[in-house]
Amino acid sequence: MSLDTATAGTPAAQPARQPSPSAVTKADIAAAGATRRRKAAKTKLIVGAVCTLLVIIPIILANVLPLPDANFQDLSARRLPPFTDGHLFGTDQLGRDLLSRVLHGGQVSLTIGLLAVLVSGAIGIILGSAAGYFGGWVDTIVSRVLEAQMSLPLLMMLLLVVALFGPSIPVITFVIAIAQWPEVARLTRSMVLVEREKPYVSAARILGLHRIQILIQHIIPNVIKQATLVVLLLLAQAVLLESALSFLGAGPQRPFATWGRIISDGQDYITTSWWMVTLPGLVIVLMVVGVNLLGDGLRDRPRRKKKGA
Amino acid sequence: MTNYILKRLGQGLLTVFLTVSTVFILIRMAPGDPAVSYAGPLATTEQLDNVREQFGLNKSLLEQYWIFLQQLLTGNLGTSYSFQAPAMQVVAERMPYTLTLATASILLTAVVAIPLGVWMSRRPDTGREFGVNVLTIAGQSMPDFWTGIMLLTGFAVLIPVFPASGFATWGGLVLPTITIAILQIALISRMVRREMTANFAAPYLTVARSRGVRNSVLTWRYAMGNSAIPVFTALGTRFAAMLNGVVVVEVVFAWPGVGSLIVRALETRDYPLIQATVLLTALLAVGVQLLIDLAYPLLDPRVRLGKAATA
Repeated sequence: MSLDTATAGTPAAQPARQPSPSAVTKADIAAAGATRRRKAAKTKLIVGAVCTLLVIIPIILANVLPLPDANFQDLSARRLPPFTDGHLFGTDQLGRDLLSRVLHGGQVSLTIGLLAVLVSGAIGIILGSAAGYFGGWVDTIVSRVLEAQMSLPLLMMLLLVVALFGPSIPVITFVIAIAQWPEVARLTRSMVLVEREKPYVSAARILGLHRIQILIQHIIPNVIKQATLVVLLLLAQAVLLESALSFLGAGPQRPFATWGRIISDGQDYITTSWWMVTLPGLVIVLMVVGVNLLGDGLRDRPRRKKKGA
Repeated sequence: MTNYILKRLGQGLLTVFLTVSTVFILIRMAPGDPAVSYAGPLATTEQLDNVREQFGLNKSLLEQYWIFLQQLLTGNLGTSYSFQAPAMQVVAERMPYTLTLATASILLTAVVAIPLGVWMSRRPDTGREFGVNVLTIAGQSMPDFWTGIMLLTGFAVLIPVFPASGFATWGGLVLPTITIAILQIALISRMVRREMTANFAAPYLTVARSRGVRNSVLTWRYAMGNSAIPVFTALGTRFAAMLNGVVVVEVVFAWPGVGSLIVRALETRDYPLIQATVLLTALLAVGVQLLIDLAYPLLDPRVRLGKAATA
């Protein structure tokens, strides 16, 4: 397509095969809102992916990388600043390698985050779509529970449960999942409400499909894409929530201390050893910014038209 | 109108009741004995029994719940184990601190986030808007305890401008407020931008523009007028949530509020104190929520309260 060709001549004067002339130049298109929007979304996607991978790949490889044991204490090498004696992130007050602690703790944090998001995503999508599709008393119950939970003091309840039942990985995962399912459920419910009125649903019903079959085979596939997008953003929140809990001492201790705990450990040494708080925090920020950017970029990306449309 | 308020009050009280009941059951289901944490690890069985007797912990769960319900009606939730004072009083003494912090934070948030969101919505898809957009993403990605420690180190230790902890002077309010506001500003400004962008795209705005209405009027009276309810709701909900104790920030700055109180109450299994905290904060949060709903007609004359509830 040559859009920057001549602006002279009327369409009627041109031979039929030639594209119709336009006053819109390539520069105009490049400067148009839609183009800039697409570019911005692309930038976000790329930067987001880079940030996320920068954190996740080392975490996955933590057991393979030539790092000291995360719990190995060397009292002669206490609070070494970064880049000394092969300690990239320095060491903590017990001489443990900070990078190794952050990466191994990250494995725990990420596992909790991913599990929590899977559980809350599953609960949210199932209950939300059931509420939206069946309506009636199912909807009433789900909506009331949603409302009640929104008005509960969230972090306080989470702390309560963790403090009372012990900071084990299953308890924390469960607690975060419970905290997050309302968001998925509300979104799924509202999307299913729209979807349910569409002609294909009536068609399926006339064909004699069971209601549950319609819901699972026809409606959920149409909403799952957007629902999973929210789930991605929830992953960022889950990581933050877990780090807040472990900062308050309600995080898992075994096998490795997680990010919030490492930061709260380093808090007492902040004036003399800045790296013990700053670096783990930056790792969290990098990772969460990355996931958020990815989610944002995916959402902003202009919808591609389907083939043939 | 009166009916509506009564109905909402009833719903609110029911929520509060269910919340405190849930907490009542949860803390008693959990492992851990408050008598042990009260009497210490060296206490004899007799001493432990005495403590249980004194706090009524040897009664059956139903009996305890019955007593709890009676206490709920009289507003006296018993004596805090660790403070040796009426639990409600202990919480009530801490409440003003949390209120102050929450109010300051929400004001700072509103003052920064609304203009910022409007600014972003008026320059969609420009480089500067993209920059601010990314900044707000960063703002909502920073763990608040980390931001708090960073600010603390920067402005209380390295450059000692503000006190590091507590609330002895007004300066002590600055750092915790900023810490809380960073996250809230990021969230609210993005929301303002979303609402305003939707309104700028609406046909009524095109009509108004073609009639020659000035840009500032278009922005602030037309688009903002219609964005006011969701934005106000978001601010109010955030405020209500903060009343439940901005736990993490209070702990970082040793703020003498409800948030740091609940952490301590949980550690010592101080049942009356936990229950009093939950009751009082839940009541306040429900009250604030009701006030927000009652303010809707002021923001949008189209809203009729009785009907809004069913919509």
